[in-house]
Amino acid sequence: MVLSLTVNSDHLSPATNPITPLVDVLREDFHLTGAKPVCREGFCGACMVLVDGVPILSCLMPAALAVDCEIRTVEGLAVDGTLTPIQAALEACDAVQCGMCFPGMVVTLTHLLTIKPGATRDDIRAALTGNICRCTGYERIVEAALLAVAVR
Amino acid sequence: MPAHPFFDPTEGTGAMNTHSPGSIYVARSLPAALDALNECGSAGAPFAGGTWIMRSPIRNEPHKHHYVAIGKIPELTAIRIDADVVEIGAAVTHAALASALADLPEFDVLATAAGCSANPAIRAMATIGGNLSTSAFAAADCVPALLCLDAEAEVSSRGDQERVGLERFLKIRPTLEPGRLLTRIILPRRDRKTAHARLPLRKSGDYPAAIVSLAVSFDAAARVRAARIAVGSVEPVARRWERLEAALVGRPLDPARAAEVAAELADEFTGRDSVDMPAWYRVSVVPSLVRRAVVAALDA
Repeated sequence: MVLSLTVNSDHLSPATNPITPLVDVLREDFHLTGAKPVCREGFCGACMVLVDGVPILSCLMPAALAVDCEIRTVEGLAVDGTLTPIQAALEACDAVQCGMCFPGMVVTLTHLLTIKPGATRDDIRAALTGNICRCTGYERIVEAALLAVAVR
Repeated sequence: MPAHPFFDPTEGTGAMNTHSPGSIYVARSLPAALDALNECGSAGAPFAGGTWIMRSPIRNEPHKHHYVAIGKIPELTAIRIDADVVEIGAAVTHAALASALADLPEFDVLATAAGCSANPAIRAMATIGGNLSTSAFAAADCVPALLCLDAEAEVSSRGDQERVGLERFLKIRPTLEPGRLLTRIILPRRDRKTAHARLPLRKSGDYPAAIVSLAVSFDAAARVRAARIAVGSVEPVARRWERLEAALVGRPLDPARAAEVAAELADEFTGRDSVDMPAWYRVSVVPSLVRRAVVAALDA
């Protein structure tokens, strides 16, 4: 059986080992480098993508298990160049630092604001427990998420 | 050679179809999964959440040649809650388990274990069956929680099924024959108070240094009638602490006294050394975790 993946509505059949981590397929075959393979252990969250709308650590998901799923990476969140509310809030709050963790942060917060539009500071902090920022820029990220909640 | 439609890296390349490491069959039913595991023999293994297997390269462990993915099998992803028993499919994720048990106070210990382990994304992937079946993972939160709940494990293979107590399962799991799969966890329902206390180095996201899981029932005079206490992450395999259990029976449950007795008995544990902390530290925090677990159980 050949793998057939759908990423940001594009279809591709990469010639890859089925157990290859999804993050590597996204980067090497789809050339989507937003998701970062940082720890490869599920601790840092830098490789987070949405699989059928749920945040998934793409370093721990083999490509074969992503078949028949709708995969959305950070590159596929904005529509026609218009930032999503959380992306706009993160920019407005000047929350981006080195950028390594950021695609994962955006994906996690996108999901949180979808399932909990009125998320509190505690909700946001709890949701981000699996997203590590090596610049320790958490406070501005949390403030940006609260801003995104407030402007809805 | 497996007859099932594995995703195979050699397909279409003109190479011999020798099933290179990492071919995956996504099973849609339990019989199909058991058939595939049986056909693969020692070259195959079940693949549940993948949070352990996908990190094999980091541990310098080679992947198996074949994996049978069990996460899309309906009967393995279901939780059945009856009046006298709760049955949990082996491929139920930690997140799903914590959510399903949230309104059942007698299972606070397991809801906390499943709902506080690792981080949210791991909890959405990691399964209860994987947690129990991974012999090399000493810090599994659900193992001590299930030990104190008197859990049974259902192990299935093609044409056979048996139930064993969880303590027995933990003994046989390293040598479980190829083709045998943990399929369900069965929990009796009882009137009891339960609690799960863990100490990670950070508030969340880390493996715990030590875990204490507790289940107690009381007589009419509010004395402990029965106690089950399990300790995890301290030794390579979680186990019950029967001497402490016996010391608590027949008296009112008191956090300070429980911690005092735990401190007297703690030398029966031989802590495991690791990069992140020394063996003695794991043992030294256990009495405090006993106190915390007792406080939480009394507040439940």
